Amino acid sequence: MAQAKKPNGGKDNFTRNLVIAVVVGVVLIMLVPTVLSKKSDTSAAIPSSVSVEDGYGMVFNKELTGVPFIEIYEDFQCPACARFESISGEYIEDLIKTKKAKVAFHMLSFLGGESQLAANAAACSADQGKFIEFHKTLYANQPAENSGAWSTQYLTTLALGLGISSPDYDKCVQNQDYMGWVKNVAEEGAKRNVNSTPTVFINGKEIDRNKAYNSLGEFMLAVEKA
Amino acid sequence: MSKFIKVQPWLGLIARLTLGGVLFAAGYLKIGTLDKSQMAVRAYELLPISIANFLGVVLPFFEIAIGLLLILGAGTRISAALGGFTMVIFIIAIAQAWARGLNIDCGCFGGGGSVAPGQTRYLQEILRDAGLAALALFLIRYPLTKFAVDKDPNRSNAGDVE
Repeated sequence: MAQAKKPNGGKDNFTRNLVIAVVVGVVLIMLVPTVLSKKSDTSAAIPSSVSVEDGYGMVFNKELTGVPFIEIYEDFQCPACARFESISGEYIEDLIKTKKAKVAFHMLSFLGGESQLAANAAACSADQGKFIEFHKTLYANQPAENSGAWSTQYLTTLALGLGISSPDYDKCVQNQDYMGWVKNVAEEGAKRNVNSTPTVFINGKEIDRNKAYNSLGEFMLAVEKA
Repeated sequence: MSKFIKVQPWLGLIARLTLGGVLFAAGYLKIGTLDKSQMAVRAYELLPISIANFLGVVLPFFEIAIGLLLILGAGTRISAALGGFTMVIFIIAIAQAWARGLNIDCGCFGGGGSVAPGQTRYLQEILRDAGLAALALFLIRYPLTKFAVDKDPNRSNAGDVE
């Protein structure tokens, strides 16, 4: 009976080979575009405050020389980044406003889709001159990771509280105009071997992981020593 | 011995579904956050950064493919050999991170990257991967299992789902 269904066993091999071909084929079809999308897109739109030579960071006081250069790699959804912002954010803002440091914000999005949406919206807010305020507000309203709270609609509403009411901003968030930049800045962070967030460099040297991330005093010392 | 012959295809099925299921889940959990997967591979500080970043993208897809083939029981011996090989590589990578005193999460099921000192779980991770490698060895030795796409060439109705 079973014999009659499979006269020579060749059919079994056919089924097996077909299954293997389909699985491997489908996975390859998914893999190839993913690998290609991991290349930096140099034609992507970027806000004017983004500096390509500084790894696509959002740079403040770019023209200053002889001051400490603070580079921050962070993800808007990362709780440790929110902690760092609440501890040292105001001091960094002050350094920017008083022109005492050059500061680059690198928005990584390794926690997923909502990090990308938030990073895109932050770039849109930069066009309205409100990046620092928006950055702070996002951390102050950080929901649970990928809970669905950070929708494009939420991100436009949030900006209203900062006095951003330009339809350009809304369009930029809605159409994800800076998604190319979001990917590029993440790609540069990967190339720089940033393996956790937040990661902060002062003049190219990472600050002490055991001290300077969790204490304003230690962070201020690190900046002053630079 | 004859008892083993009866039980072996069922043990093989369990081994296949366990190893395949773990690999599939591991790949599936990483595929939505490939930046993190890249970060996890870099954190081992074993490979040049560009190669680590490439591997971080490819590995989840590879795990899904091998996992699916094992779950279906298609090309069991080769799939188990590849799965076992990756487990051995993972064990080596985790062991060297441990020996060098790095503080990282293995990133086996998503996650990964640096963690606070004292938050590492190297021993558990190595034991788990060693157990999975043992399942792979069993499947390489006895690739014919219940409910598999693979068929016994000597018995045309072996493993048939009836």
